[in-house]
Amino acid sequence: MPVRIGMISFAHMHAASYAACVQSNPNALLTGISDDDSERGKQMAEAYECEYFGSVDALLEADIDAVIICTENALHRDATLRAAAAGKHVMCEKPISISVEDAQAMINACADAGVGLMTAFPCRYGPAYIEARRLVQQGQVGDILAMKGTNRGRNPGGWFVEPQFSGGGATIDHTVHITDLMRDITGDEVASVYCEMDRFFNPQLRCDDAGLITMDFTGGAIATLDCSWSRPPHYPTWGDATLAVVGTEGNLWIDLFSEKLHVYQNDASGYSWAGYGANLDDGLVDAFCDAVATGAPMPITGRDGLKAMEVALAAYQSAALGEAVTLPL
Amino acid sequence: MLSIALVGAGTMGRMHAGNFNQIDGCRVTKVHDALEQAARTAAADLGAEAVSDPESALADVDIVIVACPTPAHADYCCMAAQAGKHVFCEKPLARTLEQGERIVKAVDEAGVSMVVGHVLRFFPEYAAATAEIQSGAIGKAGMVRTSRINTLPGGPGSWFRDYELSGGVTLDMVIHDFDWLLWTFGKATTVYSRSLHRHMPDLDYSLTSVRFAEGAIAHVEGSWADVGAFRTSFEIAGSNGLIEHNSTENATLVVQRRGSQDGLAATQVPSSPSKSPYLLEAEAFIEAVTNSTEPPVTVRDAFAALELALAACRSAETGEIVRFGGDADAG
Repeated sequence: MPVRIGMISFAHMHAASYAACVQSNPNALLTGISDDDSERGKQMAEAYECEYFGSVDALLEADIDAVIICTENALHRDATLRAAAAGKHVMCEKPISISVEDAQAMINACADAGVGLMTAFPCRYGPAYIEARRLVQQGQVGDILAMKGTNRGRNPGGWFVEPQFSGGGATIDHTVHITDLMRDITGDEVASVYCEMDRFFNPQLRCDDAGLITMDFTGGAIATLDCSWSRPPHYPTWGDATLAVVGTEGNLWIDLFSEKLHVYQNDASGYSWAGYGANLDDGLVDAFCDAVATGAPMPITGRDGLKAMEVALAAYQSAALGEAVTLPL
Repeated sequence: MLSIALVGAGTMGRMHAGNFNQIDGCRVTKVHDALEQAARTAAADLGAEAVSDPESALADVDIVIVACPTPAHADYCCMAAQAGKHVFCEKPLARTLEQGERIVKAVDEAGVSMVVGHVLRFFPEYAAATAEIQSGAIGKAGMVRTSRINTLPGGPGSWFRDYELSGGVTLDMVIHDFDWLLWTFGKATTVYSRSLHRHMPDLDYSLTSVRFAEGAIAHVEGSWADVGAFRTSFEIAGSNGLIEHNSTENATLVVQRRGSQDGLAATQVPSSPSKSPYLLEAEAFIEAVTNSTEPPVTVRDAFAALELALAACRSAETGEIVRFGGDADAG
């Protein structure tokens, strides 16, 4: 019996990839899609060969086991609470929400309803990250002393640059992936956050498009993370996700999207990279579907989502205060 | 003929002295080192005389190259300046701000010419990046990233590996990037840094966040924790574009020899495939001395880089933010 999945909103572009991953998973079935934007929702339902539902509640009344939520960040809470109330497991796009209070409400609602809440951190399923984590656990690099991360990208535009929907700009968008890897690979929490933040690349924006975060971890490791939308429109790829680790016994680097062809075209698109690496979303969606099918705990929790988001929120506080901020908030 | 004394016959001192010997009208005549054998070996290579007393080494030369361990820079630079000698000093200018101030004062009072070895300005990739930025190619500079990755220098017991003496990777090596950043992006206002200096003498590594008065943010990475070949990279994201450079991608010549096991030098000296930046730097200094013109990297530039590097060290030592106010409060 396959796991039946419903999708709530395609506002976040990752939804299309998740839908394709559900489709290609032999143990899962994409049952239906709801979307505030009915035109988009109908298109997607047609593209992914499933039913379009006119409202979230209609989708939740359908015969599904779980939902994948890809609304605007600020609407994650409402969708999650509804899904939990309907007894559906939830995988929620990152960042989990835009406030600690919202994230906690989501965690509590799912716990009370006895459903799982997974945060969509696909970088955990990068083969390079999985191998790096294994090597760290084997002690190959000794104790982790320092980490340097980047998750840079292009400005995605749309609701991502409208703080009432996104919760901020580049910093809320691009802090959580690598922060999650840092937490996961060290097993430690972030103890303090300092952030230099600005709007460098588009003066019309109402949000930040550049952030440089410095962190201390509870186990003593030091770290920095560049979460800027600093890739220009004609950069050969969308961005990157990297993590460098310095340990007492060795160092390692993870570059999750380094597998690429250099493609040069004669038309205006010019030069671009064609990635041939693993699709990280496959591992993510498969893990979610497995947990739903078996009733096992979610491999990445709502709390993981909250702790990573908390670093982004602390970065906004730090930038506003001009001081380092101590966690938890 | 300009006669030159070398004080400090380590890797960098011998390289600088060899470069000066290549310049027409320059001759290294005296070599002093606290280790007499090192002075004798270097003197023989350079065609110079080994001198055990530093004051007599300075006595009858026109120029002094100061390339001894950092904490001794101030005494030798001041001694040379006060004797009316022009001074070429390896970076960093000094170990402390107080020492740096003494050098600036001595050089000002003596009216001699002084250059400090902030050689990035002569590395073609850094000079080209600065020129691109100044030409407006990428608009206003925003997010800047620099990396300088090396193995731990010196051998066991080397002064490089003693944080009290060398200032670790941040003062000894990352100061190159600090100088280039100040040259290219103007004054710094805020520094926040984390480092592994407490892990010396095993390794050091630092990550520094710098905010500049004109707005740019820089992420400055330096490693003495690597086990591979020396390498650097930088990128500057501006309002109208992006510049990237990675030293591992630009070799115009690669040579491999079957069956050789060449060991690495005690201090790895990066080279550029075209004319040596270190020779360009030496030539620029000699030109300034000869023509009595402003040298390309002044002692005040070197003092500013020292201030920024020491601010990063202090931030990493204390965990606190270091801010540069209107007055010099970063000591």
